[in-house]
Amino acid sequence: MIQLFHLFKNFGPSIALSDLNLRIHEGEFVFVTGPSGAGKTTLLRLIFGGEIPTSGHILINGVNLSRISRLKLDLLRRKIGFVFQDFKLLSKKTVFENVALALEVTGEHPSFIRKRTHRTLKLVGLAEKEKAYPLQLSGGEQQRVAIARAIVKDPLILLADEPTGNLDSDLTKDIMILFRSIHLKGTTVVIATHSRELLEDTAQRTVFLHNGKIVGKK
Amino acid sequence: MRVRLLSYLFKQALSNILSNRVVHAIGLGTMVVSLLILGTFLLLFVNLNAWVQGWGHSMSMSVYLNDDVSVAQRSEITSFIGNLAEAEIKRFISKDAALRDLRSVLGSQAGVLEGLSDNPLPASFEVAFTDMDGRGTDLKGIKQALQDMDGVEEVQYSEEWLHRFEGLMNIIKLVGFVIGGLLCLGILFIVTNTIKLTIYSRREEIEILKLVGATDWFVKTPYLFEGMIQGILSGVFALVILYLGYFLISTKKMYFLGLAGLDFVFIPYQYTLLIILISVSLGLLGCFIAVGRFFDI
Repeated sequence: MIQLFHLFKNFGPSIALSDLNLRIHEGEFVFVTGPSGAGKTTLLRLIFGGEIPTSGHILINGVNLSRISRLKLDLLRRKIGFVFQDFKLLSKKTVFENVALALEVTGEHPSFIRKRTHRTLKLVGLAEKEKAYPLQLSGGEQQRVAIARAIVKDPLILLADEPTGNLDSDLTKDIMILFRSIHLKGTTVVIATHSRELLEDTAQRTVFLHNGKIVGKK
Repeated sequence: MRVRLLSYLFKQALSNILSNRVVHAIGLGTMVVSLLILGTFLLLFVNLNAWVQGWGHSMSMSVYLNDDVSVAQRSEITSFIGNLAEAEIKRFISKDAALRDLRSVLGSQAGVLEGLSDNPLPASFEVAFTDMDGRGTDLKGIKQALQDMDGVEEVQYSEEWLHRFEGLMNIIKLVGFVIGGLLCLGILFIVTNTIKLTIYSRREEIEILKLVGATDWFVKTPYLFEGMIQGILSGVFALVILYLGYFLISTKKMYFLGLAGLDFVFIPYQYTLLIILISVSLGLLGCFIAVGRFFDI
């Protein structure tokens, strides 16, 4: 599903990732962890096509990201859901509109968009808050809106960058239950986190990053 | 699906315009003023051109004949003028009629003519030009040809004035092109910056759209619609204001620059379409420039 070969990424003189090799299988649930600045966010952004590697190759479902056109990359992104650490919700749009946005770009029929958005918001427990604006919601609720937007199009891969970074332990558990339920449906899930709490009770594969290199796997 | 997508993007464009209404209103206002200047210039040009043409229509040429002109020579002159497509003989003024005309012009001073033993005035043809558009009629050539004919003493017409007017019209045309070109550049600059501002104000949304898989065209199209709408609206507003201005001047033209004796017409529909075409094209071009420079996500 996701294959990284000798991946390097520099930002000017600083090295973010160095000679990274990783293979994530279809339907896998993987944690990527490490201290701040280890390269976790950069790794997710590279998988998503949000950054271009300095060298090396990224294959998503056998498609080499460095060899596809801009249009194909846009279309590929529709198969990948991304949950950002800072949520990236539009404050002037309602919860419903924020989630529906991910389907509107695909040109789906309005009735399909309505139905699917309702269903997804119900899944994340926000059916009652469809008409609210993000700033009227708590941090946990905003995170769930971001997750709803990432999964509304039934992605093959779900990437989440510190999805519980701003949440207390109860909310963290709720969000993790949500990720596991998405994973159970067959979606490949990759979560970047530096939260020890999140990793303590997990049996999932964990990749440890330090200074842009893989220093351990569990 | 394509139609549905386009209709969605068009609605997006309208919603963008509403949410950035101040920026759009300023841009629109400036575009309207620029197009209005262009339209006013066209209006003046069209009317000046019509007046010069009208003056050309009413222009006549006097062909003075020798006193000893023969009947055959006269008929040759008549048939030469008759063969000119754009000219017709308005009247023949005999020597006696010319003297009578002079007497009536002089009025109470006509006594000065009493001492004349001979009538010194020549007979003449008054030739009117019916198709004078300032281009097709070679007045100089006609004058030369008539002067070369036997029996013709002299040919006169106010060529100097006509040439001055034609020269003036050419200068006005040139100034029009220069001003028009500068105004078009100005409009392009305004549209580009208006769209840049709206893109800038929505950069967060654009980033998210790209991250959820929107294609470049999905993001760009609403801005192109915005430019097109701005172009159409500014063109229409400019024409409406121009027409109102024209209506005001044409109904009260006696108070303006002594234009009462002249017809004052609105610009022909081809020019109104041209103004709309210019505004829409510049609107779209400005957007292409703005979106082309801005998108790299």
